Amino acid sequence: MQTFLNALFTGGSRGAIYALVALGLVLVWRGAGLINFAQMGQAMFSAYVASTLIAQGYNYWIAFFVALIVGAALGAAIDILVIRPLKKKSGTAILGSPSMRDAIPVIASLGILGILQSVAGMIWAGSERGFPAPVSTVALKVGGNTMPFTYFDLFTIGIVILILIATSLFLARTSVGLAMRASALNSEVARLSGIRTRSIRTLGWVISGAVASVAGLLVTPATNISPNSLDLILIIGFTACVIGGLDSLLGSVIGGFLLGFVIAFISVYDIPEDIFIAIFLILMGIMFFRPQGLFGSEVGRRV
Amino acid sequence: MLQINNLSVSYDSVQAVNQISFTAQKGRITTVIGANGAGKTTLLRTISGLIAPKSGTISWSGREIQGMRPENIVRAGIAQAPEGHSVIAELTVEENIRMGALFRLRTNRADVRAAISESYELFPRLEERKSQKAGTLSGGERQMLAISRALVSRPELLLLDEPSLGLAPLIVEQIIDTVSILCREKGLTVLLVEQNANTALAIADHGVLLALGKVVADMPAAQLRADESLRAAYLGY
Repeated sequence: MQTFLNALFTGGSRGAIYALVALGLVLVWRGAGLINFAQMGQAMFSAYVASTLIAQGYNYWIAFFVALIVGAALGAAIDILVIRPLKKKSGTAILGSPSMRDAIPVIASLGILGILQSVAGMIWAGSERGFPAPVSTVALKVGGNTMPFTYFDLFTIGIVILILIATSLFLARTSVGLAMRASALNSEVARLSGIRTRSIRTLGWVISGAVASVAGLLVTPATNISPNSLDLILIIGFTACVIGGLDSLLGSVIGGFLLGFVIAFISVYDIPEDIFIAIFLILMGIMFFRPQGLFGSEVGRRV
Repeated sequence: MLQINNLSVSYDSVQAVNQISFTAQKGRITTVIGANGAGKTTLLRTISGLIAPKSGTISWSGREIQGMRPENIVRAGIAQAPEGHSVIAELTVEENIRMGALFRLRTNRADVRAAISESYELFPRLEERKSQKAGTLSGGERQMLAISRALVSRPELLLLDEPSLGLAPLIVEQIIDTVSILCREKGLTVLLVEQNANTALAIADHGVLLALGKVVADMPAAQLRADESLRAAYLGY
């Protein structure tokens, strides 16, 4: 029983991180129609900034908010400096061909990931570092019994649920959220309605960058940060949002938690080497039986 | 007043609109008719800023607007209900309407609310279906929705691209009547692009006939309607 609960709560707190990564990917996907592989680069970069600030004696929460701003600013910079100019260059044979038009920004995002990793390596000399969690990482005690989870686990899961609710409400209930959905669904009709789709798209990058930074900050106390340390999390987070259905915020979060549990249970009851086989099988299963993902909307549903 | 001056537009190396000039008077309905491929839709897309012209000018109330971004053209008082009853299927009816007024929300929240309820008065069927997804609407309802979305931006010039396309005659009549009431009662300037020349000329004050990207006739609608040789040559009936 103790082992089971252990796996459950480890899975929950790891799953929360994957959920955040997936949430960030979905936000860019819905706003700009691409998978932003640079996202974990942004997260890693802002985690380094936070760790530097904390090492210099700043308060955790100051470092936290500075890191959010760094992540958001990197998101805006990627859109304005890379993605927008790429969109304009559609005159050449490669950039103008329909099959490459969607692929090129994704390839560019991989390039940006590489750049962010090398720049972080140059600045912080590739050294691993970490910083303490904002709340206790010692197992909780209730009435003398040691619980299989810590305050930090609860904190992580709480933040994910908070961000899910906040981003969902923002998209569904606010005018800016409506503008974001409209620009993503049909940018021509959105522009004809007076919506400044370019700025709205940048806003999607900003929000997603901030969400990714939170993921980077929450994972750092568990695994120290190094330029490449978040690569694996990105891959699992990406799988999570494909499982959930690329355009669903709730789906991506559920996909994240699902993978968290799968990974935790396999490492407890089986051997860790099987983790990737399991993830792969789940992904293939979803692709075969429900290609739009658990919560995604079907393409081609338009009447 | 909308003045088109020597406007040429080409894309994919095809000259879609070739040196055209005409004027749409304030508070009147001007219709641009012509067969498929005459350049009508290209003309509207150029006016609303989706396509940049190769040469020539478009001036609206004395201000040159060619090459401006679509989102700024809307702010200058020109709204388009695009071809194919374009609405966003995944959004609700109310969201589609609100979308057209988002840019005015910060400056004039009360008027946005008023504009939305006015469009419900104009098309009560939209109010009945306001929380439905726009994708579930019929073609006629979508056209009403596209027009409502354009109207809540409080335009002075309304651009309509083939509102009759694929709709039952009764619905076409209802939509066209509404547009002409808007024009007569509120002083809205209308530029109506139609393939269905009869319907368009029946309500328009002025008619412009396009063929292969050129203006071949520019005269009062009644006169164009009566000219059988023009109709036979360019409209095929």
